[in-house]
Amino acid sequence: MVDIVPLSSYPSYIDLLPSIQTCNITNLPENYFLKYYLYHALTWPQLSFVAVVRPRGGYKSSTTGIAGNVAGEYPKVVGYVLAKMEEEPTDGLQHGHITSLSVMRTHRRLGIAERLMRMSQRAMAESHRAHFVSLHVRMSNVAALRLYRDTLGFEVEKVEDGYYADGEDAYAMRLNLQNMWLDWKAIEKRDAENNKEKNGEEGNEDEGEEVGDLGKKDAEKMIRVKVGRGLGVGDLVEKNESKA
Amino acid sequence: MPETLSSKDHSLFRQVVHHFEMKQYKKGIKTADQVLRKNPKHGDTQAMKALNMSQIGQLEEAFALAKTALQNDMKSHITWHVYGLLLRQEKNYEEAIKAYRFALRLEPESQPIQRDLALLQMQMRDYQGYIRSRSAMLQTRPGFRQNWTALAIAHHLAGDLAEAEKVLTTYEDTLKGATPHVADMENSEATLYKNTIIAETGNVERALEHLEAVGYRCTDVLAVMEMKANYLLRLDRKTEAEAAYTALLERNPDNSIYYNGLIKAKAIPESDHKALKALYDEWVEKNPRCDAARRIPLDFLEGEDFKQAADAYLQRMLKKGVPSLFVNIKQLYVNPAKRDVVQELVEGYLSGKATNGSAESNGDNNEFLSCTYYFLAQHYDYHVSRNLPKAMENVEKAIELSPKAVEYQMTKARIWKHYGNPGKAAEEMEKARLLDEKDRHINTKAAKYVLRNNDNEKALELMSKFTRNETVGGTLGDLHEMQCTWFLTEDAEAFLRQKKLGLALKRFHSVNNIFDTWQEDQFDFHGFSLRKGMIRAYVDMVRWEDRLREHPFYTRMAIGAVKAHLLLHDQPDLVHGPMPSGINGLDSTDENQRKKALKKAKKEQQRLEKVESDKRAARKAAAANAKGADGETKKEDSDPLGNTLVQTQDPLKDAMKFLAPLLRSSPQNIEAQCLGFEVYSRQNKHLLAVKCLVAAHSIDPSNPTLHLQLLRFRKSLESLAEPLPEKIAEVVNAEFDKLLPKTQNLEEWNESYLSTNKGSVAHVQAGLSGRQFLIPESKPQCEQDLLATLDSPDITIDEATAALDILNKWGSDKTAYAEKAGKKWPESSVFELN
Repeated sequence: MVDIVPLSSYPSYIDLLPSIQTCNITNLPENYFLKYYLYHALTWPQLSFVAVVRPRGGYKSSTTGIAGNVAGEYPKVVGYVLAKMEEEPTDGLQHGHITSLSVMRTHRRLGIAERLMRMSQRAMAESHRAHFVSLHVRMSNVAALRLYRDTLGFEVEKVEDGYYADGEDAYAMRLNLQNMWLDWKAIEKRDAENNKEKNGEEGNEDEGEEVGDLGKKDAEKMIRVKVGRGLGVGDLVEKNESKA
Repeated sequence: MPETLSSKDHSLFRQVVHHFEMKQYKKGIKTADQVLRKNPKHGDTQAMKALNMSQIGQLEEAFALAKTALQNDMKSHITWHVYGLLLRQEKNYEEAIKAYRFALRLEPESQPIQRDLALLQMQMRDYQGYIRSRSAMLQTRPGFRQNWTALAIAHHLAGDLAEAEKVLTTYEDTLKGATPHVADMENSEATLYKNTIIAETGNVERALEHLEAVGYRCTDVLAVMEMKANYLLRLDRKTEAEAAYTALLERNPDNSIYYNGLIKAKAIPESDHKALKALYDEWVEKNPRCDAARRIPLDFLEGEDFKQAADAYLQRMLKKGVPSLFVNIKQLYVNPAKRDVVQELVEGYLSGKATNGSAESNGDNNEFLSCTYYFLAQHYDYHVSRNLPKAMENVEKAIELSPKAVEYQMTKARIWKHYGNPGKAAEEMEKARLLDEKDRHINTKAAKYVLRNNDNEKALELMSKFTRNETVGGTLGDLHEMQCTWFLTEDAEAFLRQKKLGLALKRFHSVNNIFDTWQEDQFDFHGFSLRKGMIRAYVDMVRWEDRLREHPFYTRMAIGAVKAHLLLHDQPDLVHGPMPSGINGLDSTDENQRKKALKKAKKEQQRLEKVESDKRAARKAAAANAKGADGETKKEDSDPLGNTLVQTQDPLKDAMKFLAPLLRSSPQNIEAQCLGFEVYSRQNKHLLAVKCLVAAHSIDPSNPTLHLQLLRFRKSLESLAEPLPEKIAEVVNAEFDKLLPKTQNLEEWNESYLSTNKGSVAHVQAGLSGRQFLIPESKPQCEQDLLATLDSPDITIDEATAALDILNKWGSDKTAYAEKAGKKWPESSVFELN
């Protein structure tokens, strides 16, 4: 039986990373150093999810993981979605990107990929106010295409010629996520009420900055982490999109 | 005395620094040379030149120059700082910290030196040092939130939760009520970080209170929900916990942990199957496509209820044609009754009894049929329900209906593996691969099966279909670079089985190096994560890195590596390559035969070296300047066959490199403890050997390997060449007496082990080895008894192959055993002696 869990759950399941890497290199030709997975897990910890086989007899429970704790159990990883936010969106719009998604052949058609995607999409919208999520898919990958387009509602944005290392073309697809955004107005209202309580009648709360600022602030920060293969998929993704 | 520079040279020197910062290393070196022409002994310039050199692969020369620079100018923070940086590059962290400290003493205000020192202290887990560094950095720049957070992390990891929380609160107070914007993720994360610290103090009540106050404005919504549910349940606030877990399940009904939480919150007793089933049914209704809520009840339901639920589940999945049905079901088989019910149900579908009368159209029925055959094939292949002829029969029928289905063909290969015929299994897996050559998963399987058949070369060739073969070192180079631990480990194990120890050690070391890299990987994040502000994830990472080698990938590799070293110690001739078994055996007395075999082995080794150097030359010609993934020019491996590793003077000492972390990280692994005994006893480290025995005994006192070791250790204590030092003898005897008392008659003890454990072939094998060890004259009888275990209804093919090794150790003739086993498993190849 398979569980879909957040990579950075409470408590953390970050010790799944080596098994996620193995799942990736077992299934896909686009591979990365562990450090690239770490980079995802430590930059956008909310966005990645893992499918694990529940151990026989369930997980041990611990003080912090009272209902069951995956950490330290090293269950078999049969699927994962590794996702990120676009660091320098060319159009200035915050958006998410699926770096890699795969489910073991032995565990297909249990709805795992769909659940992984939905969890990641929601986190992108809530945590990072992503306008949309983008991804690439091999044109020959009918099953994946069906999932993205028919089940999840992605639309083909364009075709990218020779996107993959073996020369195959990719569909660049995207899905709008704004319907899942948090209601900031409501949060600010609650902030104001709290402040009023604290400061008596004089609570005058500022309205907050505009949404776009966050993106810019983030983009200015330097990234010193070596990523993936020198010109592996991680980088290719950036390059191809900035060409557009 | 240090030289002073003219103003022109001084500006040149500043250029050197600038070039370095801009990563223009070659220019930096050139400019430095300009300065050095006039000021040949200028320490700072020499140091900066060295630093530039270190970045373009000239670390050794850089080191020499940096030392000269230090001699020329001992009072410069630059020469010390650079020296520290070079030491760090060489991963000599302790010395690097000292160098930074010197530099800092000379230039206490320097932010870069302080920062570099702090990063290393974190890497080295010198928390007290890190606290000092971080306090100093905070004092210099208190305006930056990350400096506060960093100090809090330092206290937190050092175990001072109260101080950590205080630091975070002090910063919050400086905001004076100016609430940061919702979009301020650094703030959101710092808030949640503080909350986890409060929870770690054990005061869950306060953690919950804090979370209720601030959680609504944290954008990591799922985390807040998980934390809240967790706290509520721990506080036994049932109604609220129920709501919290319900909310989590509404987001993700595919997580059994949330159901556990909900059930605990509702206080449904484990035995109330009816209530539990009703709960899960509710979630099925809400999420008709969710698997978990349908599947989990099969775990607890019993009897007729189970049968009904299983029937519904199986039929639904088979009709949908879900190929992963069996992997989802097999965990139920720990309960033999459930196993039998599943078998009966699915067999029933085929005979048409229970298909619920729903007349399918022909096409659908075909899919239903092939899926059902496929399910039964896996069922009869699975170890607790194994009936290989039936498995084969079913898989053939499935393949007949869907000849293109990769999974069906894969299962056929698997059945051959379980038949004990790795050659045929690899062949069948290759057929599966050819059905979908673009799929890496099946390619991976095919390569793995080829490795199980000890064909390393063919495996690499298969792997090359999905690797970047232009990488330095070709396919293997790419697999190293992409940290493909499964392949390297399987490759190593295959070499070990063939007693090609050089290559086996080579691969084991590669995996070990990958773990070292993973540990090193955290370094960049000590700074990076503070800038990014994702503090919870960072702290999780630091803690995980501290237990990195607990990972089963490490355990498996380390166990293999220790075995390889032990084999090399016991059979030093293997340094020249594999030799026919029997000659390597302990009974090899024929010196002539040994020499002949040695000669042959050496010749083969020379051939291999030639092949390897040809390959390298070919690669060199193909890509004159191949680059690694990170753009650095990488050198070809100068010892691809692992000669230096295998030619070691002290294999046992080398084994410690793997054994020590293994025992530290996985003390509960009995195989590790037993291997520890093997290494320590050969080193005459009696105390450590006994410690391993005690540990193994506490895990499983009747473990077969341990049983034999206990006997051997008792005997060895009786026949020590020279007595142990008194104090050691005292401890060893006291500890060991608890496991196997001195007064105990060993033969009786062994016979009683045999009779107590007569139901288990592995235990009987150990008992027979024990008898053969205690009474060498009993060998013929032991051989007879070992042969008789083949008549046991429970013996597995793996146990039978293990018996061949046992006979090897006894120096016995294996023919009779192999013949009888070959007849018992007629499809097998593993009993063919060559």
